[in-house]
Amino acid sequence: MFVARSIAADHKDLIHDVSYDFHGRRMATCSSDQSVKVWDKDENGEWHCTASWKTHSGSVWRVTWAHPEFGQVLASCSFDRTAAVWEEIVGESNDKQRGLSHWIKRTTLVDSRTSVTDVKFAPKHMGLMLTTCSADGVVRIYEAPDVMNLSQWSLQHEISCKLSCSCISWNPSSSRAHPPMFAVGSDDSNVSYGGKVQIYEYNENTRKYAKAETLMTVTDAVHDIAFAPNLGRSVHVLAIATKDVRIFKLVPMRRDSTSTGPTKFEVQIMAQFDNHNSQVWRVSWNITSTLLASSGDDGCVRLWKANYMDNWKCTGILKGDGSPLTSSSGPPMAMSTVVGSSVQMPQNSLNGMSAGRIGKRASFAPPVRQLGSSKIYQHPAHY
Amino acid sequence: MSGSKPDILWSPHHPDRYVICDSELGLYRIGPLGGAETKAGTLPLSEETAATLLAINSDTPYMKCVAWYPKHEPECLLAVGQANGRVVLTSLGQSHNSTCKDLVGKEIVPKHARQCNTLAWNPVDSNLLAAGLDKHRADFSVLIWDISSKFSPETSVASEKIRLSSVDLDSSSVLTKPLYELGQNDACLSLCWRLRDPKLLLAGMHRNLAIFDLRNTSQKTFVNTKAIQGVTVDPHFPDRVASFFEGQVAIWDLRKFEKPVLTLTEQPKPLTKVAWCPTRTGLLATLTRDSNIIRLYDMQHTPTPIGDETEPTIIERSVQPCESQIGSFAWHPSSQNRMVVVSAANRVMTDFTVFERISLAWSSTTSLMWACGRHLYDCAEDGTEGLENAIEKDIATKMRERALSRYGHDTVHVWRNHLLAGGNDPQLKSLWYDLYYILLSHMKQCAEDTELKLQGNKQSVVYSGIKNIVKTSSGTTESHKCWSGSDRQTDVTRYHSEERCLALRLCGWISRGPEIDVDVFLRSLELEKEWERAAAVALFNLDIRRAIQILNKGATAEKGDLNLNVVAMALSGYTDDKLSLWREMCSSLRLQLKNPYLCVMFAFLTSEPGSYDGVLYESSVAVRDRVAFACMFLSDAQLTRYIDKLANELKDMGNLEGILLTGLSKDGVDLMESYVDHTGDVQTASFCMLKGSSVDVLKDPRVQCWIENYRNLLDAWSFWHKRAEFDIHRGKLDPSSKPLAQVYVSCNFCGKSISYSCSPMPHQGRGFSQYGVSGSPTKSKVTSCPGCRKPLPRCALCLMNMGTPVSNCPGTGRSEEKMDLSRENKLAQFNNWFTWCHNCRHGGHAGHMLSWFRDHTECPVSACTCKCMQLDTTGNLVPSDSS
Repeated sequence: MFVARSIAADHKDLIHDVSYDFHGRRMATCSSDQSVKVWDKDENGEWHCTASWKTHSGSVWRVTWAHPEFGQVLASCSFDRTAAVWEEIVGESNDKQRGLSHWIKRTTLVDSRTSVTDVKFAPKHMGLMLTTCSADGVVRIYEAPDVMNLSQWSLQHEISCKLSCSCISWNPSSSRAHPPMFAVGSDDSNVSYGGKVQIYEYNENTRKYAKAETLMTVTDAVHDIAFAPNLGRSVHVLAIATKDVRIFKLVPMRRDSTSTGPTKFEVQIMAQFDNHNSQVWRVSWNITSTLLASSGDDGCVRLWKANYMDNWKCTGILKGDGSPLTSSSGPPMAMSTVVGSSVQMPQNSLNGMSAGRIGKRASFAPPVRQLGSSKIYQHPAHY
Repeated sequence: MSGSKPDILWSPHHPDRYVICDSELGLYRIGPLGGAETKAGTLPLSEETAATLLAINSDTPYMKCVAWYPKHEPECLLAVGQANGRVVLTSLGQSHNSTCKDLVGKEIVPKHARQCNTLAWNPVDSNLLAAGLDKHRADFSVLIWDISSKFSPETSVASEKIRLSSVDLDSSSVLTKPLYELGQNDACLSLCWRLRDPKLLLAGMHRNLAIFDLRNTSQKTFVNTKAIQGVTVDPHFPDRVASFFEGQVAIWDLRKFEKPVLTLTEQPKPLTKVAWCPTRTGLLATLTRDSNIIRLYDMQHTPTPIGDETEPTIIERSVQPCESQIGSFAWHPSSQNRMVVVSAANRVMTDFTVFERISLAWSSTTSLMWACGRHLYDCAEDGTEGLENAIEKDIATKMRERALSRYGHDTVHVWRNHLLAGGNDPQLKSLWYDLYYILLSHMKQCAEDTELKLQGNKQSVVYSGIKNIVKTSSGTTESHKCWSGSDRQTDVTRYHSEERCLALRLCGWISRGPEIDVDVFLRSLELEKEWERAAAVALFNLDIRRAIQILNKGATAEKGDLNLNVVAMALSGYTDDKLSLWREMCSSLRLQLKNPYLCVMFAFLTSEPGSYDGVLYESSVAVRDRVAFACMFLSDAQLTRYIDKLANELKDMGNLEGILLTGLSKDGVDLMESYVDHTGDVQTASFCMLKGSSVDVLKDPRVQCWIENYRNLLDAWSFWHKRAEFDIHRGKLDPSSKPLAQVYVSCNFCGKSISYSCSPMPHQGRGFSQYGVSGSPTKSKVTSCPGCRKPLPRCALCLMNMGTPVSNCPGTGRSEEKMDLSRENKLAQFNNWFTWCHNCRHGGHAGHMLSWFRDHTECPVSACTCKCMQLDTTGNLVPSDSS
């Protein structure tokens, strides 16, 4: 059961993006009021705005954090055709005492000729790399060769996607078995232009990114895209926000080491939900990629969860203003119990524990300390 | 308005009142739903609001258009344009004061009768009412009337008026002389006053969009276009105007009127209404005919004629306020993004708020933040505990809790780790018992077999799982045992071999070989009150009497199931006669038994010798019991086939019970991969695979990947202590993972490392490095360089040479620091370490530095303004797992 509470954001216009840092203790928001705000969580779990500054001369579409290994670094992108990198510095003033921090612009990336629609840092193991995509359909990958000097960024790759890009997502897998890979989505609404999600993969031999896959079944405008945190899985999972929520599974084909060229994937659709009734705007995975949140034009935030058998279900609905949805369209309470039982059932059939024995299992588990001195401790040789 | 097509108007002054007009005018008041049942005549509009009908006015037939008088007084004055071109001023208010009375009932009559298409009150000079009419050869189509002017009875028209009108009208209330006449020999379809400049009137004429200037009526600015319907000025940008034609909306900028700055994508059906949102900039709502969707255009950035040209950023959205087809809608004048929608038929109304596009993000600690409009919402999982909750809890939450409860760290009593994991996951229970038995058998083998001991922790057969153990089985002997307690010969064949015995040990049925004695196991099952399972195990060991005793005990025990007695009775009637009634009934009735163990008992008794599918494929029986059963009663060929099949099945499902069969072999990694793919539980995978450290599964890149991912998870949760503990645990089991020294300190004078004689200290932290001087008991002087014997630098605070033990740290004596003794002792060790700032290179004893920076921000060295402690933001973070 999820409970929402409101925070006074104090932005003067629409907020376009929210982004957590690696630890989940800092947060950045960006808005049409051309500013970015940084928020810090105190010991009581309350959020405090510790910095707010004008970042661009247009709506700021997205803001994102770099891994803390590179310092406290933010990147933002805007309608003003630029992306910018910001770093928090310790000033001479006693800002820290006043609960304020100081952010300075390290660089402005001005290569795009159109609105920069998304900005993302590449996974940490690739070094400090920044990717932007823009409305004219170009993905640019920048690298800071010296992580101590964030004012120098070199444009490493420029990839033309032919379609107006709206969102980009890196595959977070750090496994050596998976070459660097990102997906880019297009918000072009012309369905005749074919697949709106393209997946690019780095080729070690050519040292270039090449298109590995186009999801041809996604022909409507794509508003957001998110690779699931891989967490050592052998497959990649991709969530797409288009006219509905879609979850794709990309299974890399096992290939022999001699073959070159991009990895071939077996693309499977795992779930497709039109519960938002209309356009879906955002999708976001939790850290273990077991929960997906989506928002859509029905003004609701929906939570999705897969059970053990990869059956995805809605586990919660919250209205955009934080109030619980009370209508008949799906009370979250009832939904969550449905999931609870659906998780339980297949497990029973798999592992030979009948549902009736759950209670016994609980009684099987006396407090650990007691066990330490009890007889069972000496003779645990049963099960 | 034709009778069928309704429209809505919000009151310009009462935020809770609106008028619906179709064939009549209905005034509604909107309020909270509370207590709506009590009041008759309230209509629910949404989950929270309801409307009450206040007044109905059906005096004016043939309504074509309505406009609400913009001034406070009179408050409910409406101008209604009729099909014959007349405009009637009417009211829906109850309070008719004097000024109102003057105006209500007045009629405005054009010279030539034709349909009145549109009406618009001047927003500033509220006496002016503009009416747009159909084309007439000899007349103007845009007429602006001054309703405050004297209503003079004009003979000719007035008499005609009275003749036409069914209502008996005072002739003095008829106005026939317009103040302005515009647009000769043309038709006017829509009108809109400019807000900033109320002398300018925008008009959608027959083939053009025109701007009339009342100060100079001879002049008009116009542009030829088809998009002349529904002209409306953006209340937030007075120069921005929207109009439509058929399915297409054109956006105009009055400063550059030659062509539309923007045309929106064409809709297949003709549009009926276009309206700017009054409470939010750049939001245009459009409605097409026969549709239940309102399409919204969010114009974040539209091209402007001034400045450089930019590509438009328009976000197209659609909302569905209700199921039925929408007749019309109206934005609420002040409430954010709110509108009321009326259906095309039956006057069904819906109160509806358009939410902004929501952007959202999960934090690493499973809380969700989203932004809707200008507001932020923080959403966290409610921490209500309970068994039901534990099952549905997300794996991220579970892993966090398990990390805090030191899950996986119990290396002595390995089976206890499943209790640390919460003790409610049967798969984990099975896994940790598997690992426990594997390690137990391994240790026993080492003890028995000195040769194996010499090889050390080399590949042991017990790690390779039952699947591989039974494959190597040789010298299997068969025996026909009697039912114990009777001398009756059974026709059940039992198989024995050393490997099968080992398998039974791994299943937990027996603790030592070679004779199969399950008595200890049975007693422990009874202790756990697992009566059915104990009975089944006893029966499989051909001890039917014991099975009956156990069931009896189960029935009489506290909270026991009395039905077990019945089962015991049924069991006691066992006969091996193939054609007996007992056999026939048992084989059919057993399927109705709820408990799988009771079910397989009868399956065993009624099955033909050698074919035990009823037991082997009963999936609710634990894998270990089925495997143990198979090891006793299946021939070598059957057994290998069964185990292979079962292992592959469990591998595909990622069921951890299969670890019993696969062991910690490559097969086991495959199974674990499948488990991780399904659950994302890298924590269990990491700990489990670390247990197999003696085998080279640890070298598998997948295993390394799980371990890295788990460490990364702990880091993301700020469980740095847990991460460090995990690294220590890992280093013990996998010595190859031990990190090398990361920092060396060299002497200022001789340049040699001052640590060569000391044991290298693990290092962590970014801003500071520590060096321990606790080692080297042989060294008499720890305050000097071991190479050149020159003194080490001095602590900036106590001014003693480094290496001096810190006896008393001023910070530790504080009362607010609630530390127990052992903790203080630990700190005292650390206090001796020396540390320095990487920026200003000043430093000293760690304890002194810590207490200094508790109260200061700047470096303790005089004239040094370095803010050592603030250089690193991460350094200031407190770990989440420090207890």
